[in-house]
Amino acid sequence: MSTVFDFNGAPGSGWSQPEPIREDPGKNIPDSMRRNALPRWPRASEPELVRHYTLLSQRNFGIDTGFYPLGSCTMKHNPRINERIVQMPGIDRIHPLQPDSQVQGLLAIYYEMQDMLSICAGMDSVTLQPVAGAQGEFTAIRCIQEYHNSNGENNRNKVIVPDSAHGTNPASAAMCGYEIVEIPSGSDGRIDLQALRAAVDGDTAAMMITNPSTLGVFEPEIAEAARIVHEAGGQMYYDGANFNAILGKTDPGRMGFDAVHYNLHKTFSQPHGGGGPGSGPIGVKSHLAKYLPSPIAARRARTEDDPRGVGDGFWYFWEDPESSIGKVQQWNGNAGAVVRAWAFYRRYGRDLERMSEHAVLNANYLRHRIMRGHGDSAIPTMPKDGAPSEVVKHEFTLDMTPIKDATGVTAKDVAKRLLDYGYMAPTLYFPQIVPECLMLEPTETESKDVLDKFADDFLSILSEDPEILKNAPHTTPVRRVDEVLAARQLILRHPCE
Amino acid sequence: MDQLPNLGRELEMLSEIGMSSMDELFADIPEDIRRNDPLPLPPPQSEEQILADAQHLLGANIHLDSRPSFISAGLARNFVPTMVPMLATRGEFLTSYTPYQPEVSQGMLQAMWEFQTMVSELVALPVANVSMYDASTAAAEAITCAVRVRSKRSSQPNTVYVSEFVPPHRMSVIENYTQGVEIDIKILPHRDDGTLDLEAAKAANDSCAVYVEQPNAFGSMDEGLLSLRSIIGEKTALIVGVDVVSLGLMEAPGNWGADIVVGEGQPFGIGPTAGGPIYGIFACTKDYLRLMPGRIVGQSLDADGKIAYTLTLSTREQHIRRHRATSNICSNETLIALMGAMHMSLLGPEGLERLALRVTAATQTALEAVASVEGVELIYPESPVFREFAVRLPCSSRGALERMDSMGVMGGFDLSQWWGSMHDCLLIGCDERTTEEDIEILSSALASSISEVSS
Repeated sequence: MSTVFDFNGAPGSGWSQPEPIREDPGKNIPDSMRRNALPRWPRASEPELVRHYTLLSQRNFGIDTGFYPLGSCTMKHNPRINERIVQMPGIDRIHPLQPDSQVQGLLAIYYEMQDMLSICAGMDSVTLQPVAGAQGEFTAIRCIQEYHNSNGENNRNKVIVPDSAHGTNPASAAMCGYEIVEIPSGSDGRIDLQALRAAVDGDTAAMMITNPSTLGVFEPEIAEAARIVHEAGGQMYYDGANFNAILGKTDPGRMGFDAVHYNLHKTFSQPHGGGGPGSGPIGVKSHLAKYLPSPIAARRARTEDDPRGVGDGFWYFWEDPESSIGKVQQWNGNAGAVVRAWAFYRRYGRDLERMSEHAVLNANYLRHRIMRGHGDSAIPTMPKDGAPSEVVKHEFTLDMTPIKDATGVTAKDVAKRLLDYGYMAPTLYFPQIVPECLMLEPTETESKDVLDKFADDFLSILSEDPEILKNAPHTTPVRRVDEVLAARQLILRHPCE
Repeated sequence: MDQLPNLGRELEMLSEIGMSSMDELFADIPEDIRRNDPLPLPPPQSEEQILADAQHLLGANIHLDSRPSFISAGLARNFVPTMVPMLATRGEFLTSYTPYQPEVSQGMLQAMWEFQTMVSELVALPVANVSMYDASTAAAEAITCAVRVRSKRSSQPNTVYVSEFVPPHRMSVIENYTQGVEIDIKILPHRDDGTLDLEAAKAANDSCAVYVEQPNAFGSMDEGLLSLRSIIGEKTALIVGVDVVSLGLMEAPGNWGADIVVGEGQPFGIGPTAGGPIYGIFACTKDYLRLMPGRIVGQSLDADGKIAYTLTLSTREQHIRRHRATSNICSNETLIALMGAMHMSLLGPEGLERLALRVTAATQTALEAVASVEGVELIYPESPVFREFAVRLPCSSRGALERMDSMGVMGGFDLSQWWGSMHDCLLIGCDERTTEEDIEILSSALASSISEVSS
C-alpha cells in the first residue's frame, strides 16, 4: 500500500494551529544556528491521515481481532475502561515534578499499587519506576549489586541463569557488569540442582529464574534452589513474566526469592501496543528496600495543617529510599500503565486468585484438547509434549519434531499456517531446550469455544498437504516476508525524494 | 470478575482433563510454599465503581490545564491533535504484541518504518530505531553504544565526557546504565555565561564520546556546540540531546557533526502523563547501526514480490544474543511512537516550524516579562533560549512557588531540587499553549510573591 510520504499537499495546507503570540520571535537565535531546510515530512490533511492510519490498522492483528496464544506474553483482553481513565486530565495533564499537594490522587494510586503488588508477591517494598520487564530486571540486579557492595562483597561477579531463561535475564545482568553462568536444565525442563550446586560459589551475586518455568511447569524444588544460593551468600531473583499462573496460590516470597519484577503489561493488562509501553515494577525483601530507585510513594496520617487530600485520612508524599540507586527512568515510571493496571486489579480485588485459576484451567484444557489427537484415530504428525508433566500452569510447549521428520514441515510453517486461520502464531523456537518448539499461552480471557475451535483447527492443519504449510500464509495482507533480504538490503527509511 | 468467559463452566472443562476441582490444577505446588488464605485485598468492583473511584482520585489532582502553568523541565504541556489518541487506540494497534509475525503486522511495521523516516529527517541522520523508554535511557544507551563502537580504537578507552548542564535525574540514569560496564564519566564544565567551555572540551579529543544537550538543562542554546566536532576530533562520537520541537527552527545536529541524536519524543504524540508512558528517540549514523540498541524495521519483499516490512538486525537483540546483546531492551514504547508519527504527519514541515515559533515566541515573551520583575535576574542573560529559562530570585524559590501556588499559578520548577545550591533559582517553562494573559498573571504573581516572601 502507499506510504504516508505519498501525501504531498501544498506547503502549510495541513492541520492548522494558532499564530505565535508575537511576530518574528526567533530573533534571539543567531542565524548560524537556524535550520536551513525543514524535514521532508508528509504534507497531509486530517481526512487523508485518518484513512491512512485506519487502513494500516486493518493490516495489523491484535487480541481484539483474534486469539493470540503467544506463550510468555500473556496476551489477555485489555478492558476499555482503562483507556478511558488514562485520558482523564488528572493523569494525562500531570507533570511528574508537580508538588505532592497537587498529585494526592496519583500518589494514592501509586501507594495502593505498591501495596497490592507487595502482597501478591510476598515482598516488603515495591517501586513502580521501571518501565519494562527488562528494566525491572536491570533495576533489581543493580539493587542486589549495591547490597553486596555495601556488605564489602564486591568480589561477587557472577549471575547464574538457567539455559531456559528469557534472553533479557542474561542481557540485564550483563548490563550491570556481571559475568553470566548458564546452567543446563534437566531433560524435563526442571532445575538441575546438581548443576546449580556446582555453579554456586563465593563469587555468586544472584540467580535469576522464573517459576513456572518457560515450559509452563511449576518447579517443585524451587525452595531448595533458593537455599543453595542463599547458603553461598547469593540473592534470588524472580522473573515475573509467568506471574499470571500463581496469584493467590503461592508467591515468590514463599519460594525464597529476594527480588521480583512484575510485568504490568502481562499480568495486569496494560495493552502491549505493538511492542510497548510496558511497565516493570520490582518488589524486594526488606534487606534490599533501601536501595530501590527514588522516589517511591509513602503516606502518613493526615493532619489539620495539610491541604486537601483524597479523603481517606492520609497524606501522601514522594520519598527517597535511604541508599537509593537513583533513577532508572527520568520520572516516576509509566504512570499511565500503573493507572491502567490499578483499574484492572480493582476489577478482581481479592479474587485475583480466580484470574490465575482460569488462566491455568484454559492452558490445561487446551493442552488436553490438542493432545487428544494422540487418541483413537491418532494423527501421525502429532507433536510431542514439550514437558511430560501431569499439569502445566499458564502455558505449555509442543515439540513439532514428528511432523518435521515425516514431512519436512517446520514449527515455523505450522505457525504461519495458523495465521491463515485467523490466529496469532504461538511463540516460536523458545525455549530452545525444546526442539521445534511452539509455546502456547491462551490466558484466562478466552472462552472454551475459542479453545475448542483452535484445537480442532490446529489438528486439521497437521494433516494438510505439506506444501500448503511450507508456503503459508496464503490469505494474510502479505505472504511470507523475506527476512534475510530485509537484513541484506537494509532499507530503513523512505528516501523522501 | 466479568473478564472471565469460562466462569460457571469450570467443571465441564476440568472433566475433559480428568479432574474434578481447581485445586488439582495446583497440586504441583509443594504444600510448604502454598498460600492457604485469601489475598488480603478489597472485594472486586464493577466497571462503574472503578470509574467513580478513578474520577474521585484523579479528580483530586491539580492538572496543568486548570491554571497558568510554567513547569517543563524536559516535558511539554503540549496540544495533541484529537485524531492521535482516537486512531492509536484502535484495537488492532493497541492490543498487538511486538510484530514477530510480519505477515499479520504490516500496519504497525509500516507505521514504525514511517516513524523512523520522520525521526531521521528531523535530526538529519540516516538511521532511527522505533523508540527507547525516554530521553534519559536513550542518552544512557547512546553512551554505552558509542563506547562499544569506539573504545578499542580510542586513546581514552571507556571514557566519555558529559556536559555538567545535563539535568541530574538524567545523569542518574546515565550513571546506573554505565557503572556496571565500567565506563568512566568525566564532566565537561561550562563557563560563567553558561556556554560550554570549549577549551576544556579539548580534553575529550579521541575519547569514546561526548554528550551535550541543545538546549541544556537551563533552556540555553549554545552556538559554540556547532564547532564541537572539530574540537573533539573525528574519531570521538558526538552525542547530542535535543528538544525535538526546537528542530523546527534550529539546525539539525546531524548537519553539524552529531553521530547520535537522542531526545524526548513526548511533545509529539502524548501529554506529559505524569512522566510516562513517553518515548525516547534514538538516531545515528550507519557506523553505529549494528551495535545500536532497540528494534528496527526494514523494508523487504514477500513471497509474491510485494513490498513488505519486517523487524530486522535482530541478531543485536537479547532474545537472540542473550548476554552479548547490545541492550536488554525488549518492550519499548511503540504505541507512543505511533502517536508521535501521527502527530508529526499532521504537523508536516511547515507545521513543525510553526510549532517551534509558537514555543519560542512564548518563551521569549515570558523571559522579557519575568526579567522586568523587580529583583529577578536572568542567570544566563546572554543565552538564546528555547522553551525554558532560569532566573535568580531575591528570595527562596520554594517560598515563591508556594505563594504562587496559593494564587493559582504553577510558577515553574525549584532548581534546588536538582542543584542544592540553587535555592533561589527557578526554571520557567513555556509551550505552544502559553498565552500573553498567562504570562501577565505569572509576572504579577511572581512580583507579589517576592515581596511577600522577602518581607
